[in-house]
Amino acid sequence: MAGLSFDNHQRNQFLSAKGFGSPKATSTGTTIVGVKFEGGVVIAADTRATSGPIVADKNCEKLHRLSPTIWCAGAGTAADTEMVTQLIGSNLELHAMSTERKPRVVTALTMLKQHLFKYQGHIGAYLIVGGVDPTGAHLFSIHAHGSTDIGFYQSLGSGSLAAMAVLESNWKEGLTKEEAMKLCTEAIEAGIWNDLGSGSNVDLCVMEVGKDAQLYRNYLKPNVREAKVKSYKFARGTTAVLKESIYNLVDIEETVVPMEVDTEA
Amino acid sequence: MNSIAQQFRHTNPAHEAFQDNDNEFFESGVDLKMAPSITVPPISQPTEFLRAHTDDASNPDCKIKIAHGTTTLAFRFKEGIIVAVDSRATAGDWIASQTVNKVIRINPFLLGTMAGGAADCQYWETWLGTQCRLHELREKERISVAAASKILGNLVYQYKGMGLSMGTMVCGFTKKEGPTIYYVDSDGSRLKGDMFCVGSGQTFAYGVLDSNYKWDLSVEDALYLGKRSILAAQHRDAYSGGSINLYHVTESGWVYHGNFDFDDTFWKVKASEGSFNNVDA
Amino acid sequence: MSVTSAVSSDYNSGVSNVPIEHQFNPYSDNGGTVLGIAGEDFAILAGDTRHTTGYSINSRYEPKVFSVGDELLITANGFAADGDALVKRFRNQLKWYHFDHKKNLTIKSAARFIQHLLYGKRFFPYYVHTIIAGLDEEGKGAVYSFDPVGSYEREQCRAGGGAASLIMPFLDNQVNFKNQMDPDSNGTAKKELKYLKLDEVISLVRDAFSSATERHINVGDGLEILIVTKDGVRTEYYPLKKD
Repeated sequence: MAGLSFDNHQRNQFLSAKGFGSPKATSTGTTIVGVKFEGGVVIAADTRATSGPIVADKNCEKLHRLSPTIWCAGAGTAADTEMVTQLIGSNLELHAMSTERKPRVVTALTMLKQHLFKYQGHIGAYLIVGGVDPTGAHLFSIHAHGSTDIGFYQSLGSGSLAAMAVLESNWKEGLTKEEAMKLCTEAIEAGIWNDLGSGSNVDLCVMEVGKDAQLYRNYLKPNVREAKVKSYKFARGTTAVLKESIYNLVDIEETVVPMEVDTEA
Repeated sequence: MNSIAQQFRHTNPAHEAFQDNDNEFFESGVDLKMAPSITVPPISQPTEFLRAHTDDASNPDCKIKIAHGTTTLAFRFKEGIIVAVDSRATAGDWIASQTVNKVIRINPFLLGTMAGGAADCQYWETWLGTQCRLHELREKERISVAAASKILGNLVYQYKGMGLSMGTMVCGFTKKEGPTIYYVDSDGSRLKGDMFCVGSGQTFAYGVLDSNYKWDLSVEDALYLGKRSILAAQHRDAYSGGSINLYHVTESGWVYHGNFDFDDTFWKVKASEGSFNNVDA
Repeated sequence: MSVTSAVSSDYNSGVSNVPIEHQFNPYSDNGGTVLGIAGEDFAILAGDTRHTTGYSINSRYEPKVFSVGDELLITANGFAADGDALVKRFRNQLKWYHFDHKKNLTIKSAARFIQHLLYGKRFFPYYVHTIIAGLDEEGKGAVYSFDPVGSYEREQCRAGGGAASLIMPFLDNQVNFKNQMDPDSNGTAKKELKYLKLDEVISLVRDAFSSATERHINVGDGLEILIVTKDGVRTEYYPLKKD
């Protein structure tokens, strides 16, 4: 059957009325940015994944590959950004093979927004898509409901205001690659320090026209944990022994079997 | 004497005016002769407000989690009363404490047990202690268990519907009554009886207690039965645990028989009785 | 909220035939976490210094553990406005106590008094987890902890606030030696309880907070530890991660 399945809608409504809410998905808090420069584009992300107030992953990857030259930073529901990105990545590859052309950023953008719109925001993916293709360098952002935006710089996620504050005050026309990388890093850092949903390290991806993208995993690590004051190594014998039983799993036995020797010539 | 008693009221206007007039909130609508005054939010339905913010059963996401969950028991027998309780306090699915004292020593002859809201029980039962002392001063005679439990019963009844949560046993020994147990709860019930188990683990405790109880139990056997009943409840009820507190109420007052860690007691009982065969090792 | 209201969904017209109800919500959560430990002749009360609402940091240094005189430490963690109001009321009443009685307030009496302050708002509670620390009449370290409506208990140690569920199991294990056997008994006898020394306690507290900072977004920026001994109150500060 075509279209959306609402089989469980009534059941879920009933369940939540009874106090069984839907399970909590990981991560809504994030800072992601993207900045264009002369001859390319760079996107960046922090590496904190949260579940409510708990840090679920201190060094997760929020930069996803759609094609060798098109990358995407994801905010919102962790599972959704991961899956939607892989799905579109696959379809983009198939599309590239059937058209015998290199995939374009606008193609990725269109496929993503059509997919997300179809699901009416229930797929909680907020993405910044950046990349280079035969038509040049591009930078877009996409919201979970399917709307898209274009610009020289973008920021998304709970730390987007902190990041945008940096982008708005420091962005200028005609940035070099190094300047764009620095600006992205500073914008993500603003999110890391000032937004509780973002933290840990900065991941960065640079896409230059005519080159494969360069991923800088943990480009900046401003949050290395200091050593603990005390050692918490337990002495042998600390664990309670409730019972002890020893099994002989291997039986070693020696047997002599007389061998018949053929005496005939 | 009543003027002395007057000083023990929190609402003494002279004291209030000088010492704590930063409280501009509305006072409780009910006028309680004996009770301290309690602030109520300045809105039309205070009880709804309280339920929304503190009742984790109707709203699991509520911010203020009030300690609940317990097993307590008391039973009468030939040699007096046995009181046994667990020591776990839970707030939602969080174990807030394993070392709660759920027996409140109202005075050397009266004990109160604690089930339901920890603060409600702790506060009103200590308050009951002062009321009992004032009774002694006024009447030159120790208060009866009936009267003491009725003071508490009347108090909670005045607050009916406002969200107090208490299930308590007032246990004591007086000359005219003998060993007496009254069950008082926040719905307003007040029952005299020979045996009560109260709390989320009550059914497990009743199970053991009912099948082994005899009026002619020796003190030693009765204490063991009390302990064993709580142990069973702690084993099966997730909201009960920690340790066991044991009391024996006699005509010369209550006697404390100690605190027993659940884990230690469990393994000991299992080994000596050959029970709890559902657990191995 | 009314239970009879129509099932809401993203697909309805937005036209509603039930009145919109607004609820009175005077509470918010300002995050942070606190921790008290009692030693043989000292007690400590520690708290992080981050103050938050939602995903925002309001301040990186807003102390919430206070020395209120009479060698008493107090903290009321949760909704900061309620916490401040409670501490303010306690300080004020403590002053009156000095005027009226010309003597120090014992920690035992302070605890009972705080129960009355909290229970006085039983039907409009202070949204706080309160802990006090000090020395008892024998000079031994004491920590008392309270639920939002005033039930209280004296304990050896207690964590409160957002990361209590992260820190408390650690404390059970390291302070009260829960689930630890004596290594020399080869796992058959419980490890014997003993008082920890002050420097050991401070090490535990620092590790507890730096670990909570790693895994709880509302904890961080700074750690302030107040220490009471017979010689008075001392404060130590250690920076925590700021992300």
